[in-house]
Amino acid sequence: MGEERSPLRPGPDLAEEASWVDADPEMLELQADAGRKSEELHADAAAALEQKRQRRYLVRALLRSPTFMTGLIIVLFWVFMALFSTFITQSPTDVDAMASLQAPSAAHWFGTDDLGRDVLARTMAGARTVLVIAPLATMLALLWGGIIGLVSGFYRGLTDEIIMRLVDVLLALPIIITSILILSLLGKSVAIVIVVIGALFTPVVSRTIRSAVIGEREREYVMAARLRGERSAFVMAREILPNITQPIIVEGTIRLGYAVFTAATLSFLGFGLVPPSPDWGLTIATERIFLQIAPWTVLFPAAALASLVVGVNLITDGLSRVFSK
Amino acid sequence: MLRLIGRRLLLMVPTLILVSILIFALAEVLPGDVGRSILGPYATDQQVKILNKELGADRPLYERYASWAGGFVTGDWGDSLLLKVPVFPTVMKALGNSLVLAGFALLIIVPVSVLLGVYAGLRKDSFLDRGITISTLSMTVIPEFVSGVILLYIFAVWLKWLPVTAMPPEGAPFVDRFYYLILPAIPLMFLELGYIARMARVGTVQVLAMPYIRTAVLKGLPRRRVIFGHVLRNAMVPTVTVIGSQVGWLIGGLVVIETLFVYPGIGKLMVDAAQTHDVVMLEASVLMVAVIYMVSNLLADIVVALLNPRIRMGG
Repeated sequence: MGEERSPLRPGPDLAEEASWVDADPEMLELQADAGRKSEELHADAAAALEQKRQRRYLVRALLRSPTFMTGLIIVLFWVFMALFSTFITQSPTDVDAMASLQAPSAAHWFGTDDLGRDVLARTMAGARTVLVIAPLATMLALLWGGIIGLVSGFYRGLTDEIIMRLVDVLLALPIIITSILILSLLGKSVAIVIVVIGALFTPVVSRTIRSAVIGEREREYVMAARLRGERSAFVMAREILPNITQPIIVEGTIRLGYAVFTAATLSFLGFGLVPPSPDWGLTIATERIFLQIAPWTVLFPAAALASLVVGVNLITDGLSRVFSK
Repeated sequence: MLRLIGRRLLLMVPTLILVSILIFALAEVLPGDVGRSILGPYATDQQVKILNKELGADRPLYERYASWAGGFVTGDWGDSLLLKVPVFPTVMKALGNSLVLAGFALLIIVPVSVLLGVYAGLRKDSFLDRGITISTLSMTVIPEFVSGVILLYIFAVWLKWLPVTAMPPEGAPFVDRFYYLILPAIPLMFLELGYIARMARVGTVQVLAMPYIRTAVLKGLPRRRVIFGHVLRNAMVPTVTVIGSQVGWLIGGLVVIETLFVYPGIGKLMVDAAQTHDVVMLEASVLMVAVIYMVSNLLADIVVALLNPRIRMGG
């Protein structure tokens, strides 16, 4: 199997390219796999290899994009803090009535809040709730929106018409309004917030995926699968879906940014989490009355939330730029 | 053009009916027992029953929906469960306050973002261009309450240039309100700044590549005339389109900013009603927001059509 260098990146980095092949375990596995089943799968393997090569090129382009890398580092920092901050900092929930609203000092780098809790510890732990809610809500939206988009884009006709009119109705209210309405009536819990955000993002996701499906459904490979007599579900899941992963990934990261935004906003408005959670939105809402006498209780969580949102959006921007090249 | 507007208005009716059913279903069917959801888990069955009777919640669903929707159309929106005041004037007063804030925000959004966008477009790919693009987009993606508290700290607490509250004291002249609205309006402006500046930038870059700009430059028009006469006007069309498509974000932003600045608008009214389970007030204000949302989307489409002759003629 002759390994060629990517036609998109000709030139002096051939050696680098080779080292990439050696370093890629997926690649080796694929080669072994292809060897095992040999001939009849040869065409398939070549196609898969072509796909791998393209994917490797994309990964490399992403690693070179300063926008993407900056975003990735910021987000990874917060993921790390969400997982391990309690081992590094003081307790985010320990109350010390004698040390309330103290300015930043050697003992408390970010100061203390009204209950004498360490603001540094709370700011670092505050990433946890958002980083649980936003990705799960995004995945739910991608799952539901993916199914709806695939079905309505694949069948077109009346099914499509009905689904899209329902989507229009759901989009007739601003998302934040609908979620307030639902959350005030269903009660507050992390699980409900996840499901509500996921459900409300579903219509937009389904629209994006629908238009991607419509772009693919007239292609030859879809026709071939249909002529082979494959069932519709198979054609949708195994033929079309793998070919629209790029728009799905971009849509997913865009939604992730909005999900962080929405989750933080809902907890700021008092419809997400309840104290003593160190969640940023909630902390800003409860501590903002101290803005004049102890601004550090509000400003550090605000800056943290801002950095996470900007980080996620830098990733989105980097991804869509590399993909659209 | 008139036919286009007429058709859009007619299309709004079924959508509004569906939205009202959705709101009604969410507010009254999902929680199961309306009286129970208002009074909470500690009320006795007797109390729940009395409240249900008082609200008419013991009647069949379609009857309740019909009387609620009928009341909404005729302006009889019932009384607030908590405040015991008529809902209609309360919502209208709050709506007025919100429109003042939103209008003021829109008033400053347009010149600031268009100027930034056009400026970036004129200096395409320069350091300034990248700086403007990245910073305006960052301001847009940061939640408005975050930029709100940071601005509040800088301008009201630290520099003391602007007041901490959003409403002037009773009896102050109306013009004073705008001084108090500067701080709440800026985070609202941020919400759309990135998109509008980006559109204005793209519009400028495209226009600059047009042959007629080269003609204008070559025939010796001063740079200022070229920019103001040709570039700016053509960069405005996509800008207006974006403003129209961002109304939903503006409404969401109003909810958050009004809560942050304790401003008596419809967003704050809605959040309070939701927090206190004031279902009557909640339903009315949400439906009102839906109406406003649809009307402003329609208005935006009309303005875009007026600006674009191809759509205007083809309607």
